[in-house]
Amino acid sequence: MSELLCLGVSHKTAPLEVRERLAAMPEKQAELLRLAANSVAEAMVVSTCNRVEFYASHGSPEQARSALRSVIASVGGPSFADHLYEHLGDAALIHLFRVAASLDSMVVGEPQILGQVKDALEVAQKAGAARGELARACAAAFASAKRVRSETGIGRAAVSMASAAVELATKIFGSLKGKTVLLVGAGEMGELAGKHLLNSGAGQIAVANRTPERARELAGTVGGVTTEFAEIHSRLIWADLVICSTASPVPLFTKDGVAAVVKARRFRPLFMVDLAVPRDIAPEVNELEGVYAYDVDDIQRVVSDNAGARLAEAAKAEVIVAEEVARFVRARSVRDGTPVLAMLRARAEQIARGELERTLSYLGEGLSEKQRRSVQAMAMAIINKLLHEPTARLRELEAEEDRRRLAGAAAELFGLDPGAPPRAEGAGPEQQAASASAPGGKR
Amino acid sequence: MSRALLSIACHEYAVAGILYLAFLVRQWKPLAVTARILIGSGLAVHAVALGSALAGQGGMPVGLSQGLSTVAFLLLAIFFALDLRYRAPVMGAFITPLAVAILIPALLLGSGSTPVPGSLRRPLLPVHISIALLGMAAFAVAAGVALMYLLLERQMKGKHFGVLFSRLPSLKLLDDLNRWLVLWGFVALSITLVTGALFSSATEGVFWHWDAREIATLVAWLIFAALLNARFFAGWRGKRVALLTMAGFCVMLVSFLTSYDPVRHLGVFR
Repeated sequence: MSELLCLGVSHKTAPLEVRERLAAMPEKQAELLRLAANSVAEAMVVSTCNRVEFYASHGSPEQARSALRSVIASVGGPSFADHLYEHLGDAALIHLFRVAASLDSMVVGEPQILGQVKDALEVAQKAGAARGELARACAAAFASAKRVRSETGIGRAAVSMASAAVELATKIFGSLKGKTVLLVGAGEMGELAGKHLLNSGAGQIAVANRTPERARELAGTVGGVTTEFAEIHSRLIWADLVICSTASPVPLFTKDGVAAVVKARRFRPLFMVDLAVPRDIAPEVNELEGVYAYDVDDIQRVVSDNAGARLAEAAKAEVIVAEEVARFVRARSVRDGTPVLAMLRARAEQIARGELERTLSYLGEGLSEKQRRSVQAMAMAIINKLLHEPTARLRELEAEEDRRRLAGAAAELFGLDPGAPPRAEGAGPEQQAASASAPGGKR
Repeated sequence: MSRALLSIACHEYAVAGILYLAFLVRQWKPLAVTARILIGSGLAVHAVALGSALAGQGGMPVGLSQGLSTVAFLLLAIFFALDLRYRAPVMGAFITPLAVAILIPALLLGSGSTPVPGSLRRPLLPVHISIALLGMAAFAVAAGVALMYLLLERQMKGKHFGVLFSRLPSLKLLDDLNRWLVLWGFVALSITLVTGALFSSATEGVFWHWDAREIATLVAWLIFAALLNARFFAGWRGKRVALLTMAGFCVMLVSFLTSYDPVRHLGVFR
């Protein structure tokens, strides 16, 4: 039986400087993957501007842990250990689901993360490092993320990073009307910011990108012009706002580089937003007169100030994620040939749902939507936590006979009939089919 | 009677100042609205008080007490107009306390003003004094605005957003106000210098005495001239302009207070 393990650093545990050192380029990502895959059964590396995470699936978590730690230390140095977090088993699974659903993002609900996890899986699959359990877990996480996106308003929160940038710009310029914008890098975040600025009344937008085709494409969607990547410094004289989001490993704008244009701009205020990790704008640029340079962490400080409204949507999303994790665990139990667990989970969920319905209808109007969701999330969390231990123990048993004996005992104890398919509301067709085809009468 | 009215106005301003400061901390609109009404009615009472006092003096403020009172009045009038135009009640928290601080000595000094000697009763004098006080008031508001600019700029640069952050108007507006106020303050200051010189030559036969008051005024004039020059020709703006404005205002304060030096300056303002 293999267990999922997640080891990583993110904006929650490590400052930007630390993340910067580990932020892996695609080619480096493959290299990391190869290193990791040597010693674990399955591996995947998720690398975004706010997190670098290693997922591994392996029979012995201790072995996987030490293997991953040595890989991370070889890339980022030993100091990394202070910032690493670790999730094991179902906790890792829940983490993966939450990451994919953008619930663990710096800007909760930002849309890119799902694509980034998908890319990570694709890289891992191409390298032959994700075949079985990990790939299935990812597929389920993607499905849950899609559900979260379509059933909650959390996606609207994604624009908060861009709107934070707009808010700051308004504090400098008063109104964005007629202000000129230079987009350096035509990534999704840059696009989002560009569109948001345009909606706020920004004047002309110029797009510079290493690949001119993509620059033209984005310039087309935001109604702007393209500019040569080599000319971004001379474009600074023209621009009021600069949004950077390139994958450049070194800063594009240094203090000296920007200082050279301050006079030519006649000290007009310049607002530079750096959405890239590693940074595109050297932090010292902020010291220049009339230049306000903000990186992702700075923007986050503004975002967290007005995060209150999003909590309700995030709570809804947490419920969906809890449900989807539960469904995946159920399906996995069936795959593992332990339908007793699936039934146990289904029974627990059934009871929880019944109780929830009763409690919520009893409390009625007294609860806000947010509170309702929180109560639901809590019920699901209790189930997951309570069933984690028996599930893990059953799955850990190597010998078929032992497992059958324990499963039988559980079935006896909880009065379950493994012959019948689990009756869970909202059970997916995949799981229904799987349980139907599972050999019955294991007792 | 004018003293009682002045005291009423001063109390209204003081309450308005407290309300504006409260508004700074807890952004509750009625606070700002009440403060605005208090400033408005305070200005009306203040105008009556000043008018009745000045009516008997050929329409010009005489003595430090009236000078201070007039500056406070003009200062708040400028702020009141700006607040009506731009709705920036936060400025009130900076400017109203300043006006009260100017007005309190005016009240304490009392209105014991000596009548202007007949030899100095020239039509130029009221113009000279009124415009000088107007310029002083404009620079005082400009200094308040500059202080707000520096506070906001500090937060924008330091990226630590305090309570003030969401309350302060944009850097752009503050810089625009600074340009406008300094420009008109400078025009008033220039007129003050010219009319002062003309008046001096008419009464004493010399344009210029090189006394502390005149030197301070000239230094202030040079600072603001350099500032405006740099702003319009070299594109200076923002922080360095705000700092220069505050420096210029400090020199203006010296000029203003030495104008009421009882030993010198014609004895008019004694």
